[in-house]
Amino acid sequence: MITIENVSKIYEEDIIALENINLNFNEGELIVLKGVSGSGKSTILSLIAGLSKPTVGEVIVDGKKISKLPDHFATSFRRDNIGIVFQKYNLIPTLSVTDNVLLPLFPLNLSHEIMQEKAYRVLKKFTIEHKAAIMVRNLSGGEQQRVAIARANINDPKIILADEPTANLDEKLSLEFIEILRELKSKKRTIIIATHDPLFFDLDIVDKIVLIEHGKLL
Amino acid sequence: MFLTPEIITLTVLNILFAIFATIAFVNALKIVLYYNKNATTNYQYMLEKKSYLSATIIKFIFYVKIPLFIFFVYTLDGLSTLLPGAMCAAGVVSATSYGTPLLFLKILNLYIFAFWIVLNNEDMKYENQPYLKKKFLLFCIAYFLLIGEIVLEGVMFESMDINSVVDCCGAIFSTTSQTYLSEILGASSSILLGTFYGFFILMIVAYFLKNRYLYSFLNILFLLIALITLIAFFGTYIYQQPTHHCPFCLLQSDYNYIGYLLYIVLFIGTFFGFVVGVIDFQAKELQKRFNISMLYNCIYVICVSYYPLEYYIKNGVWL
Repeated sequence: MITIENVSKIYEEDIIALENINLNFNEGELIVLKGVSGSGKSTILSLIAGLSKPTVGEVIVDGKKISKLPDHFATSFRRDNIGIVFQKYNLIPTLSVTDNVLLPLFPLNLSHEIMQEKAYRVLKKFTIEHKAAIMVRNLSGGEQQRVAIARANINDPKIILADEPTANLDEKLSLEFIEILRELKSKKRTIIIATHDPLFFDLDIVDKIVLIEHGKLL
Repeated sequence: MFLTPEIITLTVLNILFAIFATIAFVNALKIVLYYNKNATTNYQYMLEKKSYLSATIIKFIFYVKIPLFIFFVYTLDGLSTLLPGAMCAAGVVSATSYGTPLLFLKILNLYIFAFWIVLNNEDMKYENQPYLKKKFLLFCIAYFLLIGEIVLEGVMFESMDINSVVDCCGAIFSTTSQTYLSEILGASSSILLGTFYGFFILMIVAYFLKNRYLYSFLNILFLLIALITLIAFFGTYIYQQPTHHCPFCLLQSDYNYIGYLLYIVLFIGTFFGFVVGVIDFQAKELQKRFNISMLYNCIYVICVSYYPLEYYIKNGVWL
């Protein structure tokens, strides 16, 4: 499903984020990338999402060499196949919940009715439909996270990437998030979570924990 | 050298084009020499990034250069009021020895730049970018033509002398002088028109046969014969003067700027006709380009045919 072959990523000023990484994830797995801040977890997610390219090596997602795709193809591949929950959610505060969730659909030229129906369905799934018309800036942290997860799922992606998803949540909300993950996993979604939250390390739904330190696998 | 606002504009733009084209050329050269789409090395990823950047730079240069040709012709036409003896852009072109080669180079470049844009658009449609190396190789050639054009343009403007008397278009495009051009202009109208309409009919046949190579080849021939007949025959009906054979006067307000319409329509029609034979488009895209080409070529033929017919209907005689 996801193969990372001999990947290194070096940022400007010779900052080595990843060094000769080899990973292989199967369909339907829930993988936790564990490591401290700056260890390279987020870089792996961004490579899988096609948001950045490796300095050396290759990333293959669902049979597609995403690291070799021209940017506009990587964008459309990501839109169709990958949902991302960012650490700070990356929502647009001045738009409503519905409009934020609909953002990935706008390039698809769907009719207004279909888009509204998809938005309602996904908001209901993540129990945030009662806030549909409210501006995102007026939501609590947990609600914003639900919106971010709903947006990541609006296209029904095969792969869900989450970067420190519980960093801004209290324990109760974190447990709610885990329940959402459980449901997504039951639907055979491949989920990769970059985190240093101990809550994830003993979860029964986690198939694999990958330890990363200073850009290397342990 | 004298500076008008138009010459200053063209010169500043040319300097910018030269700088950015040189940056793109260096990258294009590296891509042609070292690009290997299967490699996963640092250098290859860098070339992939640079290929997108360079293609964008080149695309925008050419997007500006193509319509700028119209501005260039407009500038030449405007300069005719400053050069003693010149009545239109023809006098300005012939004012220096650089004018005619520059004009031909610009027309050649117009087709090459437009072709590059089509090739680039086609290349960007596919994940494996099948034309990537070809388009950068083409740019490496086009770069020298572009720089040649910029240099010639600068030299032409620089060597113009407003104190020297230049020829008017009546002298340049005369049928009585002893030049190849005068022989062509003096050729029998029936032969020229027979060739012109003959090629047009053959083009229609190739269009319906969907023979893209034949259609492409015929468009090149049609472009040549269309320019010759416009100067030798149709132009005289636009001017309503049997001895007036200038290809530039029809760009002036006296003739409702009809030249701009004719040249643009002819360029679009023949250009898209040409590309159907040299790029492997998908069936739907191929048909679209066939249709654009045929439509514009038909508009051109109708437009130029209108003038002699109108003249004949009004006067009952041919010129």
